[in-house]
Amino acid sequence: MRRWQERYATLLGAALVIGVVVQPAVSALTSLARHADPARLGAGLALAAVAYAGYLALVRAAGPMVVSAADASWRLLSPLPRRTVLGRAALVALAVSVLAGLALGVAVTAALGAPDRIAVRLTAGLVLGVAGGVGGMALGVLGQSSPAWDGWLQGLIGATLLAAVVLAVLGTGPGRHLLTAVASAPAGLAAAAAGAAAAVTAVLVRRAWRALDGMPARAVLAASARTGRAAQAAVMLDPGALTWTAEDGRWRGRALRSRPWPVRGAAALAWQEARRAGRWPGRFAVLAGAAALPALTVAAGHPGAGAALAAAGAFAAAASVTTGARRDFDNPALPRLLAVGPRAALAARALPPALLGAVWSAAALAGMSAAGALPGGPWWPLGLCCGPALAAGALRMARRRPVDHSLAVIDSPGGGIPLGPVLWAVTGADLAVLGCAPALTALLAPPADPLPYVAAQAVTGLAVLGAYLLKAGRRPR
Amino acid sequence: METDIVAARGVRVELGGRPVLDAVDLTAGPGRIVAVTGENGAGKSTLLRCLAGLETPSAGRVEVLGGPPADTPAFWRDVAQAADEPAWYPGLSVREHLELALSVHGRGRLTAEGALTAFGLEERADLHPLSLSTGQRQRLTLAMALIRPSRLLLLDEPERGLDAAFRERLAGLLREYAGEGGAVVMATHDLALARDCGARLAPLGEAR
Repeated sequence: MRRWQERYATLLGAALVIGVVVQPAVSALTSLARHADPARLGAGLALAAVAYAGYLALVRAAGPMVVSAADASWRLLSPLPRRTVLGRAALVALAVSVLAGLALGVAVTAALGAPDRIAVRLTAGLVLGVAGGVGGMALGVLGQSSPAWDGWLQGLIGATLLAAVVLAVLGTGPGRHLLTAVASAPAGLAAAAAGAAAAVTAVLVRRAWRALDGMPARAVLAASARTGRAAQAAVMLDPGALTWTAEDGRWRGRALRSRPWPVRGAAALAWQEARRAGRWPGRFAVLAGAAALPALTVAAGHPGAGAALAAAGAFAAAASVTTGARRDFDNPALPRLLAVGPRAALAARALPPALLGAVWSAAALAGMSAAGALPGGPWWPLGLCCGPALAAGALRMARRRPVDHSLAVIDSPGGGIPLGPVLWAVTGADLAVLGCAPALTALLAPPADPLPYVAAQAVTGLAVLGAYLLKAGRRPR
Repeated sequence: METDIVAARGVRVELGGRPVLDAVDLTAGPGRIVAVTGENGAGKSTLLRCLAGLETPSAGRVEVLGGPPADTPAFWRDVAQAADEPAWYPGLSVREHLELALSVHGRGRLTAEGALTAFGLEERADLHPLSLSTGQRQRLTLAMALIRPSRLLLLDEPERGLDAAFRERLAGLLREYAGEGGAVVMATHDLALARDCGARLAPLGEAR
């Protein structure tokens, strides 16, 4: 009886998914039958390249060959052939890479358009995407088994990011005809390129399959531990633990060049954050590069998504330099030893997120303005004025308590909504949205002259940060 | 007559309806070291938390430096506590953690170099604390408490993870601290450490 119920539920679910997906898929496919828009071509391809680089970086960070805790303890260190132990992980990786590749293929085809022979061009795009997805995963497996291959994978990530930059630059004007020529190349050429990519991927997959047998146990164990911690954080609904895993992994075993403190008193706490950020140049470079994404999204023809990306990115940039505040709140032993007043400490801790949030927002808005999403200008002063409000939100997020699972679950037509995780998720972002209200209003309905909004944003941002420091600074920590 | 830095009278603490501490008295004047001893669960850490203002007794009176202890920056400027391992700041080396304490306080009892030598951490000065062994991290925790100026040192099982040779050195460091006029109250299971630093024993249940 139970089995029939399960089958019924599965079939009903599948039918619902098909019903929901078919219509948008059909309309998306019919919309492909057009010439590529030269103004959006470069930005669209650059975004696809950034997404592919992100996928490769995720593959590398995940392992990608990981096993469960039980397999890591027993089967991995047994005389069983390693390919047998890793077979299931390989299947999962294949499925993930095919899905990611299909998404990539659709994105590339959507950017290039299909002026003729739509079936051939769409198939070629999908094959190219799947070849990229599966090939990247195979390279990840090879990279996990040998440092030489890992170097190739890192090189591919770097080259893809470089390609994104080149595509974005070409798309702005000087090389637009080149991109248009690529987009309007004969369908046969696209099919040939897809075939060549598939052939290279087949070779990579074969080598990766062979490498599975010689996969070092330590590489699988390290990746499994990382992924296990991530899964545990997800199960416990404590995503904050994930960032500490990455943070602690970064510094453990790393030699640092100690330098004297250039400032004294509470200001040294701000310097701690600056020093940490300076010692993680890769992350900093990614953050700096991400400031161009809103402009690219706008140039690709999605101004709304560009504005959302700018808002989320600015908050993420500010939140990336609040680790000291998080440490102090999670474990007050060090702040007690340092004996700094809570308000002075918070004020010092607000400096790095305010500065970084301001600079990131200014760069993002300047880019969006250059991409034509924002009329008049200049818009970058509006971004600069968002810094204090972003800092207030980021500090509030850094000092939020763990998820309260005892809170009620609200019934809604779409199912139960657990209030605890929702409140946890919006803590911090709520204050940033409140403090950046003038800037967000200006982004949603761009005025010809942003100056009044700049003035309003400056006042609101400072007021929100001041009020937060006054209120939160009352508590010891 | 010297004024006591710590004066606890008739302290009672209940946790879950059961008394953890009952009618406990404890005093420590300047230059004195008091070792609170007792079996697991005797309430040593709870007593230290009361002295740090992190636990409020249900009965009795606790005075530290002439007033009730409070978890405030003004209190912590005079009192240094080393209990569980702190969460180290990301991106800072061992030396930079020590220098941060000096920078924030504006002055110190020891220089960073002196603390590294005294606690045997010279070779690890440029590593992040997470790269150290458990015992070395305990040394760093103690160094963070002892490098900065204070009038009262609260130590919860300072011997945790330390090798025998360093425990002797720690006894000397605590004697130096007391020699400068500070008071030390430590909860410990190591009677040899207590003896080596000339501590007055205060077994819980009969602490005085």
